[in-house]
Amino acid sequence: MTTLVLAFALMQATPDALSEQAIELASAGSVEEAVGLWRKAVQMAPAHFPSLFNLGFTAVRQGQDEEAAQWLRRAAAANPKDFNTAYLLGTALARQNQTEEALRVWRTALALQPENRKLMQVMSVEYSKGRYFADAARMAEAALRLAPEEMPLYFLAMKARQDAGQFDEAHALARRALGRFPESARANFEVGFHLHKMGRWDEAMPYFEKAITLDGVYEEPHYFRGDVLLRQEDPAQAEAEFRKALERRAEYTVARLALARALMAQGKLEGAAEELREAAHRDEGNPQPHLLLSQVLFRMGKTEEAKAAKEVSQRLRTAKPELLNVPQPRPFPNR
Amino acid sequence: MRDFTILIASLALLAGAFAQGISTQGAAAAARMKPSGRPFGVKLTDVAAQVGLRARFVSGGESTKKYILEANGNGVAFLDYDNDGWDDIFLVNGTQFGAAQAGGNYLFHNERGRFVDVTRRAGMTHTGWGSGACVGDVDRDGFDDVFVTYWGANVLFRNTGKGGFKEEVWPDKGEWSTGCSFLDYDRDGQLDLVVTRYVGFELAKAPLPGSAANCQWKGAPVFCGPRGLPTGGLTLYRGKGDGTFTEAMRREGFYGFTTVATDLNEDGWTDIYIASDSSPSLFLRNNRNGTFTELGAETGLAFNEHGYEQGGMGVAAGDFDNDGRLDLIKTNFAGDYPNLYRNIGGGIFEDVVMKAGLAVNPQYVAWGVGLVDFDNDGWLDVFQVNGHVFPRLAGEPYANPRLLYRNLGGGKFEDVSTIAGPGVAQRASSRGAAFADFDNDGDIDVLIMNMHEGPSLLRNDSTSGNGWLQVLLSGGGLGAVVTLEVGGRKQAQTVLSQTSFLSYNGRRLHFGLGKAAKVDGLTVAWPSGRTERFAVEGVNKLVRLEEGTGKK
Repeated sequence: MTTLVLAFALMQATPDALSEQAIELASAGSVEEAVGLWRKAVQMAPAHFPSLFNLGFTAVRQGQDEEAAQWLRRAAAANPKDFNTAYLLGTALARQNQTEEALRVWRTALALQPENRKLMQVMSVEYSKGRYFADAARMAEAALRLAPEEMPLYFLAMKARQDAGQFDEAHALARRALGRFPESARANFEVGFHLHKMGRWDEAMPYFEKAITLDGVYEEPHYFRGDVLLRQEDPAQAEAEFRKALERRAEYTVARLALARALMAQGKLEGAAEELREAAHRDEGNPQPHLLLSQVLFRMGKTEEAKAAKEVSQRLRTAKPELLNVPQPRPFPNR
Repeated sequence: MRDFTILIASLALLAGAFAQGISTQGAAAAARMKPSGRPFGVKLTDVAAQVGLRARFVSGGESTKKYILEANGNGVAFLDYDNDGWDDIFLVNGTQFGAAQAGGNYLFHNERGRFVDVTRRAGMTHTGWGSGACVGDVDRDGFDDVFVTYWGANVLFRNTGKGGFKEEVWPDKGEWSTGCSFLDYDRDGQLDLVVTRYVGFELAKAPLPGSAANCQWKGAPVFCGPRGLPTGGLTLYRGKGDGTFTEAMRREGFYGFTTVATDLNEDGWTDIYIASDSSPSLFLRNNRNGTFTELGAETGLAFNEHGYEQGGMGVAAGDFDNDGRLDLIKTNFAGDYPNLYRNIGGGIFEDVVMKAGLAVNPQYVAWGVGLVDFDNDGWLDVFQVNGHVFPRLAGEPYANPRLLYRNLGGGKFEDVSTIAGPGVAQRASSRGAAFADFDNDGDIDVLIMNMHEGPSLLRNDSTSGNGWLQVLLSGGGLGAVVTLEVGGRKQAQTVLSQTSFLSYNGRRLHFGLGKAAKVDGLTVAWPSGRTERFAVEGVNKLVRLEEGTGKK
């Protein structure tokens, strides 16, 4: 049947007809044949936009991003006003980690659909990946202005502000989110988180507690509540909170490290070592459990074991230095 | 053409999957505590020009810094080189490329609070890319000698005892030395020396600004390093007893800066702590057999409380919580807090910077630091000098004010920078700082190195009315720990050959006594291992203590 359709299509022999037929084939699952027809159409008319676009689109779907980018560049040249082409081309480039090129193409797409907040959201994320945090924040906040009812946009914007080192702005966004969504566990947590980051621990606590009340499976408020308790020199209560965080997410390494600290503060060094070994086991590439383990073992007088743990930590640090680097913001390079 | 909106939306979701979770990193300025309202009574005023302290620091290009060598500036020192009871001033200086004679160190003689430039007369005219200084009486003639680190050959300036120095240039190994400290690590009575190196820097091979990822700062091309450049390290030299040294240990793999040498684990033997830039800081525990074991990570002194490496610059030792144990404070690069490492005993430390209220100004690149008692209330305050490394960076000024935090007791500090006088508010791109009582009026003053300017000398005009005691140990007492008992509290201080940022505070230890009319007791743990107790009569004076004359 497919062969017949193909033969018929070739007899028709106009690029538009070939492309239409190819779309039918693609929809029926015969993607290879469809690609053949689009290629044929492009051979006949090198600037045939639908075929170029569909070749690019298909390649994107198949994860062939380099090829997709080639087709989509040609499609964009053939029809520079097409939003979808620019959007897909940006996607193909982003997936190849060509962040700046992707963002430039997406900027074109955004000019075609200036109120496309989904694109703004995607761009914000991509700006953040490139450490263009100020641009990420600007984009997320632009999306937020268009859709102030969309809670995730607040979180996207506040994360970007925070990464940009604009902590007051991030805190203000958290307050705005809470004003709009007072019964959101996440919104309550975010306000607490930003207060915590500024060292306003007492003020942060009610927000963590509200978040816990609103969402029984939310682990992060437990961790941060525990952190405040530890700083307030109440390690026993802190330990309980860290354990709750870990009951909710056993792979929560930061909480397990904190649990170990709480145990250390109570002199429970064996328990701390046990938790740190567990953290190291669950999060193999992370140097931090080994580092803290070296401190615990040293306190226990096990100096050789402590040294060994330290060396593992150093090895992991050297292997993946980016794990422990705080990304620095930078301006988007205009050219 | 068909509508692909649905599929495109799904791709958007895929991209959205890259959204990051909550970051627990990045140094926001911590909230300030409510002002205590307690009077401070300290006014620091820059009197450098007024008292004759005129000099100019040179450190490569002023407006652009092509190489990291041009960025770090120098240490400064208060030292009483002629033993007349007045702290003189020594300034380490850099130079410029293509102008080998530019710069040059300075020595100023203190003439009852006024300074006279005696550099030439004293034979201290050496020029070069100087870094820091450490001081000790190498030949035990009773006069302090000065070791100056350089990019290139280091120089030991031997004090002739006749108002001058004899220059002794060490072999040039093509290295960039920064920190140094004299110490007696093997208790043989001879001073040994530890010297740190920052990076492996070869001008001909040095990469140019913007040429690699480690040559950018927030997207702008800047000088490269320290990461990406060959690491530095340390060399420990053993004093042979005739005033010469032999290499005893060498270690690589870190970007070493300020080096302090004292007994941090309270076992009676002098240890070494090194603030390291962009690499773990080092705690070298003295093994009591002529060797050291690096225990920075194990003891909590290598990283911040979350286990992150920091851009360590300066370090000071002192007992901020008056528990009789030496704590450490370390300054770091911008976007980070200092570390306040509280000594909890057994050679273990914990970083309590957040709890202490010292995390309120992470915006500055911080360098020189002192744990000193400005108002003589018996609690060590914190003074910190700042200055960016990139001269022209949008939004990040090169020149910054200084910071002064008063110690409120109970482990808490309060930022009093805005009420502590014009010398604190003054902006400069500062590096080294030293702390001593240059005018012998019973309070601590501050000497500061400022890039491409003259030094600042902040005179402390204290109105606190609190008492004080200064302690001078025989033989210099480098690494000795002096514990004062007053008003039911113990205050520990130590004599350091280097501290702050590549700087030296002089031999005298200065204790604030508050309103106490007497000192209850004074104990010296000498670097020889001997611990002695001394009776102190009276307050507001300098006491000289001779090893072997106290009670065991």
